[in-house]
Amino acid sequence: MSVIEAGGLRRTYKTTTGVIRRRRLEVEAVKGISFSVERGELFGLLGPNGAGKTTTIKMLITLLLPTAGDARVLGLDVVADAREVRKRIGYVFGGDRGLYERLSALDNLRYFAELYGVSGRDQRTRIAEVLELVGLTGREQERVEGYSRGMRQRLHIARGILHDPEVVFLDEPTIGVDPVGARQLRGTIADLVAAGKTVLLTTHYMFEADALCDRIAVIAKGRIVGEGTPEELKAQVADGRVTEIEVYGVDEATVDRVRALDGVASVVVEERDQSQLLVVQTTADREVTAPVLALLEGLEVGRVASREPTLEDAYVALVGGE
Amino acid sequence: MKRLRLFVFAWLLHFKMLSQSAFDGFLAILWPLFFATVAFFMFRAGRGSAVLGPVALGAAVMGVWTATSVSASSALQRERRLGTLELLVASPTNLALVLLPITLATSTIGLYCIVATLLWARFLFGVHIPVAHPLTFGLGIVGIVVTIGSLGFLMAVAFVRSRRAWAIGAVTEYPVWLVCGFLVPISLLPNWVRPISWLLGPTWGMRAIRAGAYGGPHALLDIAACFGLAAAYVLLGVLVLGTVLDSARRRASLSLT
Amino acid sequence: MKGLRVFFVGGLISYRALFGFLSLWIFVPALILTPIFQILLFAYIGRAAGVGSDEFYVIGNAIQYSSVPCLFAMTQTIADERFWQTLGPILISPAGRLPLFLGRALPVIVNGLFVAAFSLFVGGLLLGTTLDGATWARLAPVLLVGAFSCTGLGLVNAAIGLRVRETAVLSNVFVGLLLIFCGANVALSTLPGWMAVISRGLPLTHTIEAARAVAAGASLASVRGLLGREAVVGLAYAALGVAMLRFFEQQSRRHATLERV
Repeated sequence: MSVIEAGGLRRTYKTTTGVIRRRRLEVEAVKGISFSVERGELFGLLGPNGAGKTTTIKMLITLLLPTAGDARVLGLDVVADAREVRKRIGYVFGGDRGLYERLSALDNLRYFAELYGVSGRDQRTRIAEVLELVGLTGREQERVEGYSRGMRQRLHIARGILHDPEVVFLDEPTIGVDPVGARQLRGTIADLVAAGKTVLLTTHYMFEADALCDRIAVIAKGRIVGEGTPEELKAQVADGRVTEIEVYGVDEATVDRVRALDGVASVVVEERDQSQLLVVQTTADREVTAPVLALLEGLEVGRVASREPTLEDAYVALVGGE
Repeated sequence: MKRLRLFVFAWLLHFKMLSQSAFDGFLAILWPLFFATVAFFMFRAGRGSAVLGPVALGAAVMGVWTATSVSASSALQRERRLGTLELLVASPTNLALVLLPITLATSTIGLYCIVATLLWARFLFGVHIPVAHPLTFGLGIVGIVVTIGSLGFLMAVAFVRSRRAWAIGAVTEYPVWLVCGFLVPISLLPNWVRPISWLLGPTWGMRAIRAGAYGGPHALLDIAACFGLAAAYVLLGVLVLGTVLDSARRRASLSLT
Repeated sequence: MKGLRVFFVGGLISYRALFGFLSLWIFVPALILTPIFQILLFAYIGRAAGVGSDEFYVIGNAIQYSSVPCLFAMTQTIADERFWQTLGPILISPAGRLPLFLGRALPVIVNGLFVAAFSLFVGGLLLGTTLDGATWARLAPVLLVGAFSCTGLGLVNAAIGLRVRETAVLSNVFVGLLLIFCGANVALSTLPGWMAVISRGLPLTHTIEAARAVAAGASLASVRGLLGREAVVGLAYAALGVAMLRFFEQQSRRHATLERV
């Protein structure tokens, strides 16, 4: 039995537009998402902002009811058995909010320990344990308002695992954290999995998903557009190479002609200050540099480089293609 | 037992947080004092200093309502702003059990107002409050804090979806002062208002406090009604909250963030 | 809590809210319902205390409550100017300062006038102390002078608001002080001597006295002394407010604080 099972999840929001004449709009944020996560996995939901990651996670943690489809966590239905699900999962989200600023870290943890049903006897040891795990031992008496973003995130994680949940949901946990702090956080997340927990992580940082996740589902515009291990994803989209050509003043017509070349899977143009960077993905181990340069004749060409595809390239191709 | 522990802990925690907001506290205590001062002048001019005792008690209790009216109805809005509302809803604990200690904490802040007003009355207007029946008096004070906190709970539940909850809470400040007999005897109010007064717990709490200070024939009834109504508000609030939350999850209308 | 409340109240009863009705949920309770409740509250306290007539309290509280828009809206207008960084240019412009600020103050004054008139009308209706058309005609200029005068105090408040972050507390304190001192509910003769002295230095005191006289049948001519004194009070506060604004602006040029929101 999978620890998390999502089957055809859909979620529609009704919003109103306009001030004078209000119109009702239905926005479908999640358009049929299915995936499963096995015990002990670190599963990533990777996608740009607005893709539906947060909506999906909120459905799984019982904060939102799906408009259609179903989901089970640890075999329990997220709609019918919401309370039972809540007892067994942890929820952590990124950012500055989610803590009582005026209280100490310790008070925050004690409050949430009570809310999440950690028995009085165990509270002290448990709080000490989680503080140790996230590296905040010794700083728990300080008020949260004095914490840095990285420390807050660590405290968030500590709070999320207080009741020793089997499954932990992390919604963009490293957002806005400095590189050193983020690396530390990732280490902590990896430790969680090592301790036997199942983790579902949403992020829009490619390298993070690449480094941490056992498996990834790429989400764009409410749908899963790719799924698999990081290696599989990289292979799926571009088992060839990526050639980067710096060019000055290329026009759309020329780019289209490059796209139409035999062996070219996709071309993405990145605008720089004075130049553009053509990122050409090739389908197979084809040497396309020469034909591409031929098409670019007449234009000034700068650096030409060739490299292995990264997860970012796969992601861009998957997401850009939607 | 676990629930009771959670309840007490949460209440103390929120009381601590609210107490630390010096800015809020300062104004919460000062604001009713302006009104108390005017009332003292008015009653002294009209009926002489003898009546200032009950007036001072009424003014003291006004502060408890002020502390609660805006703060309780916007309790969830505050949590939303802090980003903790999601976490509260996503916890396995019933949201009612989370919310009630918060609103009780807001009314407990009112104790500062009671003390401040009585001191103000004593030192600036020479008003001394007797305490003929300390037990009744004490129960009256506890009762008024509990019943106002419970009324605040009901308001918080009623406005759970509204971002402007505090404005609605604010507009109830003067009406409750007027209708619950803090400064104006209920008998002076129009007939149609009196049932509203009887249905408001603070009315009975006020009577209990005055009975505790000066003696009164129905002290037991007053206390019972005060706590009884508090229980009714909580029950009603719990029922409504369950429905509201369900609907909110379905329509994503709780705007948890 | 309170701060949040009054900050939002101030934020939205700017003159834009008056004509834009940006949020009915705040405008209506704060400027329409609350003053009426205040009138009812004090009318009944008056009955319980056996002092003053209903009309006494209707007039007193309606005029006193106009201090809420006058203070908050004026403070918010200046805060807006600062936010949009137009305050500096205004303060250093060669045009006369007083007229400039009066221009910005005008919508606030109208706001105050509206609140006073409306609450007076509805309060009177509810308590059965309505006034006839002729009395209203005489009352209107009285209320206008009061609103003008209180807006002057609003300018002082606004100036302080440039330096102090928590302007809401001060605004509330002024409203509360006016409640005690301006004779809204306690006749000046009942107040201790030293308090009555302070009252005469505050806006609205003379307006309330004049309004009560006019409601009792006095002509405008007979209250012109009171109105004159009120206008002087208002001008004094306005001048002080503008001077303070200029001073703080000069200071801020030294310390670069004016543009900080």
